[in-house]
Amino acid sequence: MSEAPLLELAGLSVDIPTEAGVLHAVRDVSLTVRRGETLCVVGESGCGKSLTSLAIMGLLPPAAQRRARRLALAGEDLLSASPRRLRALRGDRMAMIFQDPMTSLNPAWSVGDQLEEIFIRHGKGNRRAARERAVALLERVGIANAGGRLAQYPHQLSGGLRQRVMIAMALMCSPGLVLADEPTTALDATIQLGILQLLAELQAEMHMGLMLVTHDLGIVARIADRVAVMYAGEVVEEGPARTVFTAPRHPYTRGLIDCIPQPDRMAPGQRLGTIPGMVPSLVGEVQGCAFRTRCAFARPECAATVAPRHGPDDHMWRCVLPPETLDHAA
Amino acid sequence: MSSAPLLELRDVRRRYSVGGGIFAPRRELTAVAGVSLTLGAGEALGLVGESGCGKSTLARLVLGLEVPSEGEVLVAGRPIAGLHRLERSRLVQPVFQDPYSSLNPRRSIAEIVAQPLAVHGIGTPAERRDQVAEMLALVGLAPRHAAALPAQLSGGQRQRVAIARALVLRPALVVCDEPTSALDVSVQAQILNLLLDLRDRLNLSYLFISHNLAVVQMLAGRVAVMYLGRMVEEGPARQVLTAPTHPYTRALLASVLTPDPALGLPAMRLGTAFPDPLNVPPGCAFNPRCPFAFDRCRAEPPALVLREGGTLAACHLAAEAPTAAL
Repeated sequence: MSEAPLLELAGLSVDIPTEAGVLHAVRDVSLTVRRGETLCVVGESGCGKSLTSLAIMGLLPPAAQRRARRLALAGEDLLSASPRRLRALRGDRMAMIFQDPMTSLNPAWSVGDQLEEIFIRHGKGNRRAARERAVALLERVGIANAGGRLAQYPHQLSGGLRQRVMIAMALMCSPGLVLADEPTTALDATIQLGILQLLAELQAEMHMGLMLVTHDLGIVARIADRVAVMYAGEVVEEGPARTVFTAPRHPYTRGLIDCIPQPDRMAPGQRLGTIPGMVPSLVGEVQGCAFRTRCAFARPECAATVAPRHGPDDHMWRCVLPPETLDHAA
Repeated sequence: MSSAPLLELRDVRRRYSVGGGIFAPRRELTAVAGVSLTLGAGEALGLVGESGCGKSTLARLVLGLEVPSEGEVLVAGRPIAGLHRLERSRLVQPVFQDPYSSLNPRRSIAEIVAQPLAVHGIGTPAERRDQVAEMLALVGLAPRHAAALPAQLSGGQRQRVAIARALVLRPALVVCDEPTSALDVSVQAQILNLLLDLRDRLNLSYLFISHNLAVVQMLAGRVAVMYLGRMVEEGPARQVLTAPTHPYTRALLASVLTPDPALGLPAMRLGTAFPDPLNVPPGCAFNPRCPFAFDRCRAEPPALVLREGGTLAACHLAAEAPTAAL
């Protein structure tokens, strides 16, 4: 298995000029997704996780400036690819599932037309083949009476069904890489579970690489092979899911895990762990560890540039603390 | 507890008439289909269920924003719908999900929190200022936030403002409708801790609505599970959430994803039939999705029956086979 990773991203930065100065929304992010692997990118609002996925797809808003040392899909450089080539790749070789299916589906087009358009546009076949593929995928994502649904419009579907249509649309051309940005956040837990199971099954079946962006560590723990924790535009910890959850090395990761209500592990009336303070402004130069203003373990050397450290299994973290510091809290 | 409970719902029903379109006849949608509940002073009741199960309608009925089609909502022994809105608002106050739309963007935080006092004519302006300062400190906001506008605050801070506004009249009952669903996990943790602290300090009662069972279990002593406008299970939180009786409660619990990487995605045993309040199936409303449904479930609606452990459950299966391994 020495083939090139499906997605290679190295040194990604996204800068957004604002009136107050340049906002460094994504800072030196490097990620890799292999075939058949699920990478979860986790972090809170404003940590840059959605911009990272948009930057990969080449769908950033015009004002945002993207810089990267490398961005490649199955070995093909995307940084130097022409807009025409990118349009050909998007929807075909890489696809994105957005959070809000109501705003990302076209309200004036029927479900069938939207699904078939992608297939035909990428030259996969004629209208009849597109229709067959659409029906097969709608059935695969658990929509009963798929043939009848093709004539329906997005507003006639429930939120869970719309999200399933979005997933089916992303899979129309069997892309190698699927980016899903909070695909289940607006949904009920029961529907969420159904959609996650579906993504996991389809991923195993089609041997896709899946990059799932979420703020929910519960989802991450259950579905991820690898986890990248983002804070203030930076990956502060990355590694195999089991390692990151059982032996986190960055205080922010530890804090996030402690924030989650787990009633069966807590005494009645026990308070949750919290992360005091607020996310720093990313306008202007950001010096040292961005988390140090909220960190209980902060020390003087945190103000200097923190080099990434590495452990077994490609575990990376950006923290100056001795690795065993956070173990007691587990 | 010899006196009337703080909140009592007696077989409450709420129906809406919905237009189907130009040619379609108007149809009746039953959002709440006969719910009875009591909540004592200082208690917290968690209300859970999927979207469209009627939990938000129930919250609006308790707040007096909706009038029941049948049945009664009593707060401190009096029907809430018959009270003047000023009186009502001193008894029950809401905290809504979205702190971005529930605060007036053009008023300062101090004005927003002082507004209920002004409307009720409580205190002089100076006294109100003091009380607002006290409330802001109570919910963990700094004095400098008083002059700020909602747009200058983060989501968590706004939700603190909404809580301060709800508590400034010292209501006995606070109805929280998904108060942390729009917030990040770290902020959610802060708000949940705050709600726990405030309950201890002010002896508040909460009707706490959430789709997140872990959040409910942190806050609520009792839990009620709704499905298509009906109560399917109700009882002590620990009992309901560790030894659930109703297959729906079990399915809800199974879909909670705890951050445990040793466990994969749990199996989903619920049918995909989407619950449609305009088209409630005969018998048990849950039967099309229930993996254990049998003939009786499709014919006869189950009644709420008291089970051992002190929970009420509406399930034929639970009634017939009390120790069945569901």
